[in-house]
Amino acid sequence: MPGGVATAAAEPIVLDAIGKRYETASGAVQAVDSVSLTVRAEEFVTLLGPSGCGKSTVLSMIAGLVRPDAGRVLVDGAPCTGPNPEKVALVFQDGGLFPWRTALDNVTFGLELRGVPAAKRREIARGLLEPMGLRGFERKYPRELSGGMRQRVAIARALALDTPILLMDEPFGALDEQTRLLMGEWLVGIRRRARKAVVFVTHSLLEAIALSDRIVVMTARPGRVKDVVDVALPFPRDLNAPEVTDLRAKLWEQVREESLKAMGSPP
Amino acid sequence: MGRLGVLGCQAGSLAVLLLAWEAAVRTGVADPLFVPAPGAVAAALGSTVREALPRLGDTLLKALLGYALAVGLGVAGGLVIGSRRFVHAVTMPYVVACYGVPKILVLPWIALILGLGTSTAVLTATLFAVFPILLMVAAGTRDVDPTLVTAAVSMGATRGQVSRKVLLPAVLPSVLAGMRVGVVFAMLGVLLAEMFAGNRGMGFLMQRMAMAFKASELFAATLIVSILSIVVVLSLEHLNQRLSRWR
Amino acid sequence: MTVLAWRLGILVVGLGLWEAVAAPLNPIFYVGPSALPGALLQMWRVPELPNLSEHVWLTLREIAGAYLLAVAAGLWLGFLFGLRRTVGRVYEPLLAALYAVPSVIWYPSLMLFFGLGPASKIAFGFLLGFFPIVLSVLSGVRQVPATLVTVAQSMGARPWTVFRKVMLPSMASTMAGGLRAGLALSVVGVLVGEILGSRAGLGYVINYAYGLMMTREYAVLAVIVAAAVLALDAAGALVEARVKRWAG
Repeated sequence: MPGGVATAAAEPIVLDAIGKRYETASGAVQAVDSVSLTVRAEEFVTLLGPSGCGKSTVLSMIAGLVRPDAGRVLVDGAPCTGPNPEKVALVFQDGGLFPWRTALDNVTFGLELRGVPAAKRREIARGLLEPMGLRGFERKYPRELSGGMRQRVAIARALALDTPILLMDEPFGALDEQTRLLMGEWLVGIRRRARKAVVFVTHSLLEAIALSDRIVVMTARPGRVKDVVDVALPFPRDLNAPEVTDLRAKLWEQVREESLKAMGSPP
Repeated sequence: MGRLGVLGCQAGSLAVLLLAWEAAVRTGVADPLFVPAPGAVAAALGSTVREALPRLGDTLLKALLGYALAVGLGVAGGLVIGSRRFVHAVTMPYVVACYGVPKILVLPWIALILGLGTSTAVLTATLFAVFPILLMVAAGTRDVDPTLVTAAVSMGATRGQVSRKVLLPAVLPSVLAGMRVGVVFAMLGVLLAEMFAGNRGMGFLMQRMAMAFKASELFAATLIVSILSIVVVLSLEHLNQRLSRWR
Repeated sequence: MTVLAWRLGILVVGLGLWEAVAAPLNPIFYVGPSALPGALLQMWRVPELPNLSEHVWLTLREIAGAYLLAVAAGLWLGFLFGLRRTVGRVYEPLLAALYAVPSVIWYPSLMLFFGLGPASKIAFGFLLGFFPIVLSVLSGVRQVPATLVTVAQSMGARPWTVFRKVMLPSMASTMAGGLRAGLALSVVGVLVGEILGSRAGLGYVINYAYGLMMTREYAVLAVIVAAAVLALDAAGALVEARVKRWAG
């Protein structure tokens, strides 16, 4: 890289005091204010906070879908100027699956855009869907799949591009609690093998604790970093262990304060 | 009541209706000059079909041309209007107004300029069919889930790829629905133009039969056109079902 | 604000184009908007054109007749098919089949049967206006949430009360839409009938003007009728919106 900071291996994601402001009918809204964060390779970082605290906006900025008004986003050392399909893959809350495509064709979408030949695409897609327990469902349409299955297809689609970074915006938010917990367990299993830097957005404390290496607690709007908590527990995590309960209590204290602010009443 | 039962009732009701109708004419309750007996209509069917066939072809051809134009304009226009907020806000009142104005009012003017021939019929068909298609496609385009576009963009899709691989398939059901509705309107436009200012085609023939009090032939002709129209619509409906399996 | 400006802009440009195109061309065929007000004033005095107010009155009566019949038949059949399931199952597909047929083909037969007088126009207007009404009643009946009916019945309400206090309010907005569409179509039916073959009425006058190549008069009439129909539909829209707000 000409000039600039030369590091042996650039961190996958560097957020340098990024901010975002939106113009709405009722005036300007500061969604995100001066958020700084570094995500290391193969690290699982969760953004935790109440609704409207800008977590999704931060994710959009990392993905290059939204330009920050302040600060900069560096992906793999290079400034982020737009969508970066080589480096960043996204999973959305309601899957964003194309309803007119089968599960298989959804997974191959990104590969199609890259010009990967058909046979190879299908091979990769099948290779991803099978360990997810979706063997036999490749030809089904999203309408014919359950919520949990749809999210797994969405994740498979994101994994198909084999990017070093994976961004997930409340991917299990639309699922019922049991499915959610199961999906969480499953994701833990997947990530070990996937070896990606993951930024995960959620408002569920348990989910954050179960999955992350680090949890970034965000304030209510305007979203700032309130605290960064290391979760140094081994996987798989026993959610009934005392350390987890302690951590949960500690996180809840902070999140509760911000949630009340977000709801409009004093803490 | 099962499907067979329903069909049976329908057939039965039709049979009863036909019998009562035949009886009414035979007993003189209904004047055969105005209300031909079903038997007479059936008898006239053969000769009417022969007379009608070339005219039917003429009508269908004009309808097809007008329909093709309407689909082209309506789908393109609908996509543009539906995808841009500003264009939608500005043009919608006019589109709705055009849809709400009885288009028959424009027909004399078209006939005055274009004469009594094919172009009048084709233009009228286009005029009748384009607005419902446009409205339905615009609505369908507006309803496309923005997350789908975001997902595609995040995977590196160019604008062209987004249009082809996301917008088009997402909008297809609305396009098909609009096309289905448009067919009847196009036929309506052609027939209307033929009745008002035509010298060929089915509409003109039927109008002439009415003026000449050829009741049986007229009823037969009406029957023929009805059946044809129902067949066309059913086929389109069937096609629509097959293309929308994912819904 | 800019939206409004653009809309006005389109209107101005449209009228301007119309005027510009019409001005140099043969006045028999092309009439610009500037010629219209003058023609309007003249119309009342032109002897060839029959007494306008009588014709307008006739058309209005035909529309009223057609619409009232459409409403009566539409409501009756709609409720019959909607409430009596089996009857509905048998006859609704037949109704749907009729809907796939271009309605204008019925008109020659109606003309043959009813003659060129108002009856054929009322019949045709009825035929056109009837469909949206019956379809909206059918769909409205089916949309009534079964839970609401059950709640009312469990509180001891009798069938007529259930109908009046539960079903009708639930169906109100759908029905309002159908009644509004029915009115628009009845008007179209009467106008089409008059233009295609009649001896009196607004459509007849329009046809008359067209036949005598009195393009200016025809244009004025067409514009006025178009505006009247739009105004009528706008009124219908207001009523529909009111009903929607009341029905919740």
